[in-house]
Amino acid sequence: MVEVLQQILNGLTIGGVYVLIALGLTTVFGILGISHFAHGSISMFGGYVVFYLVTQQGMPLAFACLAAMGAGFVLGIAVERLAYRPVRDASPINAFIVALGLTMIAEGANLQLFGADQIVIPTNLQSVFRIGALTLTELRFYIILLTAGLILAMTLYIQRSKTGYAIRALAQNRNAAILMGVNVSRITMLVFAMSSMLGVAAAVMIGALFAIAPGVGEGLAIKGFSVLILGGLGSIPGAIVGGLILGVTEALAAGFLSSAYKDVIAFLVMIIVLLVRPQGLLGKHS
Amino acid sequence: MKRALVPLAVLALLALAIAAPQYITVRYYVQLILLAMIWTIMAHGQNIIQGMTGYVSITQAGLMGVGAYASTLLSIRLGWPVWASMAIAPFITALFSVFVGYPSLRVKGHYFAIVTLAFNMVIFIVLMNFTSLTRGEAGIFNIQRPEPLFGLVDFDDRVAYYYLVLTVAVVMTALTWLLMRSSIGRTLRAIRQNENLASACGVAVWKYKLFAFVASAFYAGAAGALYAHYIGFINPETFGVAQSLDAILAVILGGTGTLFGPVLGAFAVVFLPEYLRIAESFRLIVYGLLLVVATILMPRGALPLLGRAWHAAARRLGFPK
Repeated sequence: MVEVLQQILNGLTIGGVYVLIALGLTTVFGILGISHFAHGSISMFGGYVVFYLVTQQGMPLAFACLAAMGAGFVLGIAVERLAYRPVRDASPINAFIVALGLTMIAEGANLQLFGADQIVIPTNLQSVFRIGALTLTELRFYIILLTAGLILAMTLYIQRSKTGYAIRALAQNRNAAILMGVNVSRITMLVFAMSSMLGVAAAVMIGALFAIAPGVGEGLAIKGFSVLILGGLGSIPGAIVGGLILGVTEALAAGFLSSAYKDVIAFLVMIIVLLVRPQGLLGKHS
Repeated sequence: MKRALVPLAVLALLALAIAAPQYITVRYYVQLILLAMIWTIMAHGQNIIQGMTGYVSITQAGLMGVGAYASTLLSIRLGWPVWASMAIAPFITALFSVFVGYPSLRVKGHYFAIVTLAFNMVIFIVLMNFTSLTRGEAGIFNIQRPEPLFGLVDFDDRVAYYYLVLTVAVVMTALTWLLMRSSIGRTLRAIRQNENLASACGVAVWKYKLFAFVASAFYAGAAGALYAHYIGFINPETFGVAQSLDAILAVILGGTGTLFGPVLGAFAVVFLPEYLRIAESFRLIVYGLLLVVATILMPRGALPLLGRAWHAAARRLGFPK
């Protein structure tokens, strides 16, 4: 029983990271209806930047994270402007192909700038907390805290602020929102900027918890989309629930069944959910 | 006039493909053309589900892997004749794809793309980890070429194998042509244009979609078997998501839903990366950039663009329409 709880705790940590990735993907999908596949690789760029700033420039981790999130903000805007806007009126598959091209560019740039070795972002969070029979490393504790904070902030921003109101209006009914004077271009740019910021935060956590290496970004994007499918495309509560379910499923599968097949098991859960509820757990009927 | 020219152009291309190994002395180029023809089969399959039916599947390379491993294991583990295992492999792949297609086709659009992508990852992970059967990442070596035909044609010769692949590619292209002209092809296009309307007209949509998916898998299986027995070595790396994306690119770059677009696209995805080798580390970046720019500038693929250019040139030269 303790073992189960321990795995669930581990799963919630990584699930939180998946939620951060999925939140970015789901807001972009909600507004533009595109699968921003390059999200993972672009986020990883931020993770590499943090590693560079911390190890080469000796910058404190917190400042490095802020700088990298700033870079993510700018990069998100650039990607939307240069790559997605020109195909906005073409068929959705073209945007997907552009996303694939962007993924290659981002992966290539990461390889070119930071090399093919896997890196771990160094932290000095070494101590271990004990809660009864459960153990929780200090690093995981802060990651849970930070993801919870970011998820809460993003949810509040989208549900409460005026801009968030505009974002939801655009997702719900694009034409009506435009007629009501919502500035589509500005909102779209902002959504990309915020998504990339959250993505960079997630990448830093992955880099500190496990490692960053070529290909990890693509894997993360695929996980993000699995979360969206589990929870329902375009749904923010769906992304949160789906991410946590995926993380916990993976951890339980790795702990009790097979760590080599943990992704297979996670995907199977996703496929079973699809068979029962094709629109996802919290998605609406299309 | 254009209609009369198309068969002529096809015959000319075919003659060129037949003559190529006799004139090209650099073996490397013969190999590239051979691989491009295998990829032509892949792209035709992808075009059936993606171009004709409008469902973007991201698992074509995974299915190619199923075909490649099926044929390899049948011939090595069970000692079947290579011809028999190569002939059975596409059917095994097609049967397998029923189990992939049925759950995937319950959803549409982006969902479908991502579910099939997950299936490709599942295939990849199983090939990697089921080492007692597949030998995992180390792969399987020494896969035999087919036995000599009537004791005459020796397929250990690259050029002989080239003609085998050419034959299969031509047959598959002809099959695609027949499918496009048939009532099934029309139904698939109807599904792409308006699935709800087709369904309301009494079409059992799910049967046709499953047929398209299984047919695309059949093509992938054939390509996989041809690939495995040509290269003589397979490991899971060849059958990952990245290669499935290449199949999608071949269709998009060439011309979605057209007969010869995927052929053009297949040559592009095989030759482009080779030519971009000049700057190995920049290759991904340049390839990605090309892709983004090509999609923005020619959203419907190269073939319609070539067709338009041809019309413009014909008008300039004063040919009647």
